[in-house]
Amino acid sequence: MIDALWQNLDYAASVVLFCIGLYTVITRENLIKKFMGLNIMETAVFAFIVALGVVEGGDAPIAGSGATPPFINPLPQALILTGIVVAVSTTALALSLIIRIWRQCGTIEADELREVE
Amino acid sequence: MSDWSPLLAVFLVLPLTAAVLTPAVCRSSSTRGWAWTLVTMLVTSVIGGVLIARVATRGPFSYVVGGWTAPYGIELRFDEFSAVVAIICLLGVLAIVFSRRYAERALQAERIPYYYALLLLNLTGMLGFTVTGDLFNLFVFLEILSLSGYALVAISGEKIAEMAAFKYLVMGAISSLMVLFGTGMLYALTGSLNMADITSRLAGATQTPLIVALGAMTLGFMVKAALFPLHVWLPDAHAIAPSPVSAILSGLVVKVGIIGMLRLYQIAYGSGAVDLAGLNLVLTWLGALAIVMGAFFAVFQDDIKMMLAYSTISNIGYIVMGLGLASTYSVIGASVHVFNHALIKATLFLGAGALIHQTGKRTLTDLAGIGKAMPFTVAAISIGAISIVGIPPTAGFLCKWYIALGAMQAGHPFFGFALVFGALLIFIYYIRMVNAFYFREPRDRAAVDVQEAPATMLIPVLVLAILCLVMGVLGRLPLTFIEPAVERLLMPVGGG
Repeated sequence: MIDALWQNLDYAASVVLFCIGLYTVITRENLIKKFMGLNIMETAVFAFIVALGVVEGGDAPIAGSGATPPFINPLPQALILTGIVVAVSTTALALSLIIRIWRQCGTIEADELREVE
Repeated sequence: MSDWSPLLAVFLVLPLTAAVLTPAVCRSSSTRGWAWTLVTMLVTSVIGGVLIARVATRGPFSYVVGGWTAPYGIELRFDEFSAVVAIICLLGVLAIVFSRRYAERALQAERIPYYYALLLLNLTGMLGFTVTGDLFNLFVFLEILSLSGYALVAISGEKIAEMAAFKYLVMGAISSLMVLFGTGMLYALTGSLNMADITSRLAGATQTPLIVALGAMTLGFMVKAALFPLHVWLPDAHAIAPSPVSAILSGLVVKVGIIGMLRLYQIAYGSGAVDLAGLNLVLTWLGALAIVMGAFFAVFQDDIKMMLAYSTISNIGYIVMGLGLASTYSVIGASVHVFNHALIKATLFLGAGALIHQTGKRTLTDLAGIGKAMPFTVAAISIGAISIVGIPPTAGFLCKWYIALGAMQAGHPFFGFALVFGALLIFIYYIRMVNAFYFREPRDRAAVDVQEAPATMLIPVLVLAILCLVMGVLGRLPLTFIEPAVERLLMPVGGG
């Protein structure tokens, strides 16, 4: 059990990170902190998928760089590059929403906002 | 025979490009932006029609993007379930027509170009979602339509709009992550992202990770579909958004979750690698709960759009229950209800939008007696209400009938009972609405002393109402169309 955990430390770490993020999203009242929790969750999933492509002692698969097999699978990295772009746009949208909530209601604490409503 | 498949790429690239260009095109005049968006959507609809005609005559086909053959490249695949693009195009066109006058009053002038751009982007995301054959591409289109959806909820600028959009965004982002996580797991299991390829490689895969992957993705799609108890983001978001957007969100965007589940089913059933009985049981129960709870909450709403939003939760329950029962009839009923509910809910939301636009009021109490002032709009809303309850010969009847038949077929008559009970509750709140519009004395005569809605609003509402009736009469048409696909879907596990 411990052995299996140790061998898959990268996956275990992303699961822990994911749970920390989810906990933050659920428990924090401050909208920015809530959203930081979401960013942590995103990072956890990204790290998990990138870790899928890693090969022990592998080289970066760049043509003409003199790298030798085995190569690291570049596909997950390409996917996550797209994923990061999506995450950045989500963050931008969320932050601009938070700014507008602040201007309209004068607070970004979820519990106080419920009273404003 | 010429090769038609590149049309599939044009089908997505055209509205996507047009959406990005919209703010530049309509910088000075909102009318020009409206016309630009409308023409784009009309052309896209024509292409969509050609594609559907082709799938009806020749069966599913695909287009290989950039010449990289599947499973290495991204494959766009058009099958029978993709025929849902018909309703996406139809509602898209009608919502845009409706927006002409509505946006001018409901939105600040400088936001109108972005409104049209986001609307087009949202529709493109849905079109892409339904035709892609690649799992990661599915995620990208999911994000396109979700992000534009969040922004569209916030665009109305009403006081709690941003808060509703934020709530929607947090739930939506978590569910997208679930989908991405599941995609990663499936990639780890099979080494492929192409759905057809995954299906063929899954056989014999290790059970636990496969169940985790499918579970995570189903959970993600359940949030997108606003299945009870993951619906908390929906009522505020759908009620506060501008009415044409509510029609799109409620009619189409929540269905994306359903289509996602159907795609997962295609993978899971097709590979036969996993037993879905447990998942199906959960879905059936949640569906039944959603039907009753959604209808129950709706009964107590006074705000007309809030009521319609809760009604959407209830109807998603019908669809999910149909899927969960996994008998031929129930899955057919659920697939067709995706189509018919979109039609009905758009009628109701656009009709409600017309009432709100003309009177400035949005509660049943304030709108009492409006039937005399706006006879056509209220007649259309009434037809929508009758359809959603499921009284024959309207569009809602056939799907619910099929889902009930499916419950019998699967040997769970109890769920047929839940369906009828839900329909009764739905009947109560819609009859309350129709009663208020027609027979109750207006509380404030001046408030309901208004003109009938302008033509650009009235025509879409009437077209939709007439379609609700027509689809009730011609209901066999989509049924026979979807039947072979459903039978193919359920075959490997011997369902039905």
